[in-house]
Amino acid sequence: MAEIKTKNFSAASAQAMLDPKLRRALDRVASGFDVARQDRIEEVTPEVWEQWRQQARDIKIHTIEHLDYYLDLLHANVTAAGGHLHFAKDADQANEIVAHIVRTRNVKIATKSKSMVSEELDLNPVLEALGVDVYETDLGEYIIQLANETPSHLVAPALHKSKEDVAELFTEKLGIPYDEDIFHMAATARTVLRDKFMEADLGISGANFVVAETGTLVIITNEGNGRLCTSAPRIHIGITGMEKVIPSMQDLSTFLRLLPRSATGQRITSYVSMTTGPRRADDEDGPEEFHLILVDNGRSAMLADPALREALYCIRCGACLNICPVYQRIGGHAYGWVYPGPIGAVITPMLVGLKNAKELPQASSLCGACREVCPIKIDIPRMLLDLRKKTAESPDDSQRSAPESERMVARVYAWVMSRPSLVKFGHQTGRTLQGLLQFSPITPMTKDGRWYRKLPLPIVSKWTRGRDLPALPRKTFHELWEQGIADGPPTDATDSH
Amino acid sequence: MTNQDTNIPGVSKEEFLQSVRESLGRDNTPPAQPYQRLLETTADLESQAAEIRQRVQENLPALLDKLADMAQKGGWNVFRAAGGEEAIGYIETLARNQEAARAVRSGQEVFDQIPVDDALRGLGLTITPIIQNNATPRRALREVIRRADIGITGADYALAETGSIIVLPRRGLSRLVSLVPPVHVALVRPEEVLETLDDLFLLRRLEYHQRGGEMGSYLNFITGPSRTADIEMTIVEGVHGPKEVHMVLLG
Ligand code: SF4
Repeated sequence: MAEIKTKNFSAASAQAMLDPKLRRALDRVASGFDVARQDRIEEVTPEVWEQWRQQARDIKIHTIEHLDYYLDLLHANVTAAGGHLHFAKDADQANEIVAHIVRTRNVKIATKSKSMVSEELDLNPVLEALGVDVYETDLGEYIIQLANETPSHLVAPALHKSKEDVAELFTEKLGIPYDEDIFHMAATARTVLRDKFMEADLGISGANFVVAETGTLVIITNEGNGRLCTSAPRIHIGITGMEKVIPSMQDLSTFLRLLPRSATGQRITSYVSMTTGPRRADDEDGPEEFHLILVDNGRSAMLADPALREALYCIRCGACLNICPVYQRIGGHAYGWVYPGPIGAVITPMLVGLKNAKELPQASSLCGACREVCPIKIDIPRMLLDLRKKTAESPDDSQRSAPESERMVARVYAWVMSRPSLVKFGHQTGRTLQGLLQFSPITPMTKDGRWYRKLPLPIVSKWTRGRDLPALPRKTFHELWEQGIADGPPTDATDSH
Repeated sequence: MTNQDTNIPGVSKEEFLQSVRESLGRDNTPPAQPYQRLLETTADLESQAAEIRQRVQENLPALLDKLADMAQKGGWNVFRAAGGEEAIGYIETLARNQEAARAVRSGQEVFDQIPVDDALRGLGLTITPIIQNNATPRRALREVIRRADIGITGADYALAETGSIIVLPRRGLSRLVSLVPPVHVALVRPEEVLETLDDLFLLRRLEYHQRGGEMGSYLNFITGPSRTADIEMTIVEGVHGPKEVHMVLLG
């Protein structure tokens, strides 16, 4: 399993906040992906967007509640199509399955398209130990493989690297003259990797979805490396989490509408590739063998906990990262494991153990922006609170992170949040006070009225030293919801991000 | 599974499903409310398919416009050809502008209607058609595709909602013709146009039913050129796939 550095969270995030290069990179992502995402929602209208989200959520709820049934159906249909479905309880088992295939099929060269689950398994060192040359082929993944680093974003893994960094890396690792032209660097990667695709015995991919009805693996990509990985080598292995199954092929309509728009603001990606079994006898090309490995690796714990089950609905679009004030300030690496951002703060403690990652659930101002942008309407703030509560109440001292005062705040917050009328009252009073504060000459608010810097109040002053407190939105999600989004585009909702 | 896999690591399906059931806190119970779509019969799907075809037929001019518009937004160079001659003329001009020496095309029906081979040979290009049932060994075929400057394909479907073409690789239709050469040209006929993603997936499910659970090994949506924004969010086209894609829409 990938190395766990979650215990360093405080130090790592403090350091990240001081890195001006990282700040520029993070700003680019926010202004790139999230602005485009909002444009796409306006285009289809927020009403339609809301319908899609609800459909997707309903599909996920149904599937996860009957996960055993759909995994069984998937198994039957992958097998019927001539493929092999393997089940792995943990990272070691998944890696051993791949190692077995590599050994018995005499694999020498492997190309990989982006797979967060393979990052989670830390598969590459396993392949290397078997003497396999393994190449990450997504440009961002290729860059971080050369740099021997880990991804810092779900969708843009190398966003923390500047073009100068990449140019230096290419000079050092590929022995080519320094050239920081981004187009030239992409062309270099194309040339180097083109040969590898043609020589590779094994292509490894992740999966965005797997369809139980037909046994189909679906990947959604832009570069074309995913198509090459699933088409050129003689063996294809797909590796993914067990929660990625969906019932019917027709469910893909909804997810294909939501995922690209939420991830990069595209209406659809350049490619959507759907593999059902190995190539058929009279196909011109395609792999001779198709394997799909489904991984648990701690997901059962999320499934078993009704309060955290909905974390399994995540489609890894990254929208909650792009909007998160904490991620925006510290980037992905500070989170210390594979999955960063708000959803990472929920998933990571569940997959690596709460006692190893007890600070992560604190890494949120609970502003609710992640929940508002999530295409599956996953209630991340609620789950973070739940994890905080679990940490605070843990009898095991090593799981306990918050000092008494913070534990109390958390408890009060939980109590208040569970009482909607109180929340409403609080928001209204808060906004009135905030309105006065914004125009006061000594306001701790930022100019755009969206954030508080360093609040001069006793308990929160320490808390806002390292984080900005989001200002209250002019309208809360609940108010917008009740008012009925039907009376026009909720411009306030986009303001409040 | 082959006998080399008798001792493959991992756990059995039963063991895995059992642990999922334990996490869900229940026994082996199928969904109390069955999933509607999975109950549909071939006849159900056939009647929906008939509705789709009728809807498409009735709205064809508008759908062609929508397809052209969405394809353009998705990064295709769209050319609407009044007939076969105009389509061939466009491809000739493209080949000349690209100073292309080699082209490869898939063996689809549309090329019986639009004979691009002779036209391109007339310009001095080498064109390799992947004829169905031809005997080109796979290795050799791959080399031909790799060295081609232009890859030409038809489309199995074209989707107005997304501006995509959909290809179903099979005999005569390599997965690589639309992917490996730096320029891809796709010929689209009006009869291939569908309106929505739901239309497409319904027709695929119908075929799956009709063919007794066989859906073919691969399906690809193509929408615009290959692209990346992995370095400083700068969009670069043509990273692993084609840099330039042309949709020649007949109608
Ligand atoms: S939690 Fe929601 S917004 Fe975040 S990555 Fe997952 S699906 Fe996207």
